[in-house]
Amino acid sequence: MRLLLLSFVIVFVSCKKDDPLTPTLPIIPNEEEVITTLNYTLTAPNGDVVLFSFKDVDGDGGNAPVVVNGALDTNLTYSGKIELLNETVSPAEDITEEVKEEGDEHQIFYQFSNPDLGTTYTDADANGKPIGVSTQLITKGTSSSTLTITLRHTPDKNASDVASGDISNAGGETDIEVTFAVDVK
Amino acid sequence: MLNSFFTLLIVFAFCVQSTAQTCNLNISGRLTDETTSEPIVYGNVFIKELKLGSVSDTAGNFKIQGVCPGNYHLVISHIGCETIEYFLNLRNDTVMGISLDHNHHHLHEVSITAKLKERSIQESQTIGKQDLEENGDKNLSTLLDQMSGVSSIKNGSGIAKPVVHGLYGNRLAIINNGVAQSGQQWGVDHSPEIDPLSANEITVIKGVGAAEYQGNSLGSVILVEPSRIEREPHLHGSGSYFFESNGLGNGMHFSLQQYENVGLEIGWKVDATVKKSGDNRSPNYYLRNTGNEEANVALQFEKSIRKNWIMDAYLSSFNAKLGVFRGAHIGNLTDLDEAFNRSEPFFTQDKFSYEIEAPRQQVNHHLMKLHSMYFITPNQKLEFTYAVQLNQRKEFDVRRGGRSDIPALSLDQVSNFGEVKYLSDFGENWEFKTGVQVNHTDNTNVPETNILPLIPNYVAIEYGAFGILAKSWDKTTVEIGGRYDLENRNVATISNSVPRSIIKYSNSYSNFSAMSGVSQQLVKNWKLLGNIGFANRNPEVNELYSNGLHQGVSGIELGEVTLKPEQSLKGTLSLKGKVKNKLFFEALGYYQVIEDYIFLNPSNEVRLTIRGAFPVFKYEQTNASIYGLDFSTVYQITSHLETKIQYSYLKGDDNSQGIPLIFMPANNLYGALTYDVKNWNLGRGKLENIELQVNNRFVFEQTHILPSQDFIQPPKAYNLIGAKVSAERQAGKFRFNFYLRAENILNTVYRDYLNRQRYFADDLGVNIIAGINAKF
Repeated sequence: MRLLLLSFVIVFVSCKKDDPLTPTLPIIPNEEEVITTLNYTLTAPNGDVVLFSFKDVDGDGGNAPVVVNGALDTNLTYSGKIELLNETVSPAEDITEEVKEEGDEHQIFYQFSNPDLGTTYTDADANGKPIGVSTQLITKGTSSSTLTITLRHTPDKNASDVASGDISNAGGETDIEVTFAVDVK
Repeated sequence: MLNSFFTLLIVFAFCVQSTAQTCNLNISGRLTDETTSEPIVYGNVFIKELKLGSVSDTAGNFKIQGVCPGNYHLVISHIGCETIEYFLNLRNDTVMGISLDHNHHHLHEVSITAKLKERSIQESQTIGKQDLEENGDKNLSTLLDQMSGVSSIKNGSGIAKPVVHGLYGNRLAIINNGVAQSGQQWGVDHSPEIDPLSANEITVIKGVGAAEYQGNSLGSVILVEPSRIEREPHLHGSGSYFFESNGLGNGMHFSLQQYENVGLEIGWKVDATVKKSGDNRSPNYYLRNTGNEEANVALQFEKSIRKNWIMDAYLSSFNAKLGVFRGAHIGNLTDLDEAFNRSEPFFTQDKFSYEIEAPRQQVNHHLMKLHSMYFITPNQKLEFTYAVQLNQRKEFDVRRGGRSDIPALSLDQVSNFGEVKYLSDFGENWEFKTGVQVNHTDNTNVPETNILPLIPNYVAIEYGAFGILAKSWDKTTVEIGGRYDLENRNVATISNSVPRSIIKYSNSYSNFSAMSGVSQQLVKNWKLLGNIGFANRNPEVNELYSNGLHQGVSGIELGEVTLKPEQSLKGTLSLKGKVKNKLFFEALGYYQVIEDYIFLNPSNEVRLTIRGAFPVFKYEQTNASIYGLDFSTVYQITSHLETKIQYSYLKGDDNSQGIPLIFMPANNLYGALTYDVKNWNLGRGKLENIELQVNNRFVFEQTHILPSQDFIQPPKAYNLIGAKVSAERQAGKFRFNFYLRAENILNTVYRDYLNRQRYFADDLGVNIIAGINAKF
C-alpha cells in the first residue's frame, strides 16, 4: 500500500518544474490546417484569366480580410479552378491537394444570386461524386450579382440534389464560406 | 460536534451486567429520530449472523433475547431511513440507544431539516448513499438537479455541470473531499470530473458565501464527501450493477473495506466504477456519437496513530471519454441557421452504435490527498491537508487531413493545495474555526494540437485565511465568518496577429469576503434561517484573454484585460417546519446583486472570416441581480402514502442595461406520490422497505429573455412523467437493494433551455433503468 502511495507521489512530483511562478511558455503552433486564402480563377476560352480572391492571413481575428472581385464577359464558357492556401507558413502550403485527396469528404458549392448563372462540376471523387475544385461557368446576359463559395467538410453527397450542386441537403460543416461580387458585362 | 466523525448513526452502548457466558444475553434498546428525538416505531433490528431480529414498539424499544457472546453485525432499518449496519462485540447484556437519521429519506427529495452538524447554518440539501446508489446511471450534475433551486447546464446528455441559484462554473465552488475541484471550469461544455458513486453523500449549500473554502464561489458550494471507513474488523463491501435502456448503458461499482482495530489500527477502502453507454435516443431518432465511457478508482487509507491522532490518505482517478452529438458540430452561422430550420437534425440515424468518434472529449482527473486530524483536547482539533490534482483534458474535433485523432484542445492542469485548520468548542456553546490555505495552479497547453490555443498558459498562486465564530443558545444560533484571499497570476499567451509572438501578463487580486447568519427556532419544529454574505470572484483567464473564434458557439469571443473582480451581496431567508408530523415544508427565498458581473455581450459587430461572417461577443461587466424562491413540501396522506411538491422560481436581470440575464434556469414544478410497504412476505423470505413512486416534472418556458439575446427562441414548456419501484431484501450475509426507474415514460418530445443541444436536436426519450446493489 505504501509503495502505491509512493508511486503516486512520484508521478505527481515528476510533473513539476523549476520555477513555480512562471508559466510554461506556449509553443507557437504550426497551424498547418488553417486556410487563409481562397483563389477562384476563371479562364475564358481565349486564355483571359479573371481572379476572385479572399485572403485573411492572420486568421479569425486581427485584420480584416482582403477580397478581390472580378468582372466576366457575357456569353462565354469559363473553366473554373479553386486554389486553397495556408499562407501563415512560408512557403505557403497548398491545401487544395489535401481536399482533393479526401475528395469523398469534401464538396465545394457555388451559389449565385442571379439564377441565370450557374456552375457545373468537372471533377469527381473516388465514388464518382463531384468535389468542386474544377468547374465550368457559362455566362448569360448582363448583371451585377453575388457568388457565395462554400466548402463543406463531411457533407452527405448522396442526399437529394447534392451531387448537382444544391447545398440545402448537404449537411456537414462549413470550412469556408466567402462571398464575391460578380459583374457580367 | 467534534465527534460527528461518526455521522448518521449515533450509538452508545453500555454494559448492564457482566456475568453471563452462556447464550442468554439480551440486546435491547431504543430507536429514536436523530433530529426530533422522537421514538421510531416499527424499526427493524436484525442480527445478520443469527438471522434473528426484533421490531421496535410504539415507544421505540426493541429487545433481542437469548444471544450467545460473540461478534455480530446489526442491521438497523426503517422505512424512510437509510439502512445502516453496526458492528457489536457482544460480551454482556447490552442496551443501545440508536438514533436514525429519519429525515434522510426526505432530505434527498425535500431537505426538511437543515443538517447543521459541523457545517455552517447556511441552507443545505443532501443526497445520501442510498440515493446515490439508486441513481448509479447519473452524473454529478443530473443527480443534483432533482433538488429545488438546482439545475444542469448540458451539452447533450453526458456532459453536464450543476447550476445553483442561477450560478455555475467559475461562480460555484465544488469541494471534492475537502479540496476545491480544479480543472477547466470555464466552459459550459465541461462537466466536473467526479464519480458520484464513490461518494457517501453530496451536499449542496445554497449559501451566500463560502468562508471556509478556497476556490471561486459567489455563494453556493457543492460538497462531495466520500464515506469514512467503518470501524469494522471484518471485510465488508458492496457491488452494484445497472442497465439503462436509452443508450444501452451498463455500469458497475464495487467497494471493499476493512478496519484492523487490534494492534495496527489501520483501515482501507477501495471503490471502482466502470460505465459504458452508446448513442442516446430522442423520441424520433438516435443521436449519433452521444455515448460515454468511464472508469474510476478510489483508494482510501486511515490510520489511528494515537487515540487523538488520525491520518488518512485518499487517491482517486477519474477517466472519461465523452461523445458530443455530431449534429451539434457546426462550421459557421449558416450551418447553425440551417440546423434550426430542419425538422430532423443532420447526423441522426435509425441504428444504434456504441462508437465514439470526433467530436469527443477525453478527460482524466487524478487526486491525491493526505489529511491528518489531531485532537489537542476533546474540544479542540487541528487538521492538516495536502492535495495534488492533475487534470488532463483533450477535446477532439472533426478535422481535415486525418487530424481528427489529434486533439484540438489539450490542457494539463496541476494544482497543489495545502491547508491548516483549527477548530474549537469553548465556553457555553461557542465554536470557532480558523484556517490558512495556499493553492498553486499550473495550467499548460500541451503543444500537440497545431491550433492556436483558446486558453493561455498560466500559473496562479492563491493564499487564503478564514475565521468563523458561532454561538448557540437554546433556540438561536448565530454565525459570523470572514476570509481574505490574495491571488497572483502570471500568464503567457500567443498573439492573435502575425507574425505570432508570446505576450505575458501578470495580475494580482486581493479580496475580503464576509458572511453571517442566524438560525432561530420559532415554535416547536419550526425554524427560521437568515444569511447574508459578501463575496468576490476574480476574472478568469478566458474572460481576460480569449481572442478568437469559439466554434462551438458560432461566435468570436474577445476577452477584456481590464476586467475587475465581481462583487456579490447575497441574502437568503428560509422557513422550515412540520405540522403534526404530517406536513413538512421548506421555503427559501434569495436575492443576490452582483456588481461587475462578467458576461459575454453580443456586439453589433460582425466579423468576416474565411469561414463566413461571425457575430462578435465581448466580455463586459454589468450590474446584475438574481433572485428566486425554492419551495418544497411533503404531506403524509396516510402512514404509507406521501406526496411531495417542489417548485423553483428564478429571475436574473442585467440592471445596467435593463434587460434579462441570459442562460438562467427556467422555473419548474415537480410532484411525486410515493407509496411504501414495510414488508412483503414471499414464499421464501420477504421483501422489505418497498417503495412505489410516480412523479411529474413540469418545466416552464424561459420567457424572461429578449429575442435579440439568442439565435432562436427558448424552447416551449414541457412535462415529463417518471416512475420508480425499489425494495430491499436480506439474504444470508447479503443485503440486496433492487430498483427500477422510468424516465420520460410517455416519450415526450422536448428541448431544454439549458441544454446547448437544443439548437440542434430533441432531448432524450423514454429511459428505463434497472439496478441492483448488494452489501455484505
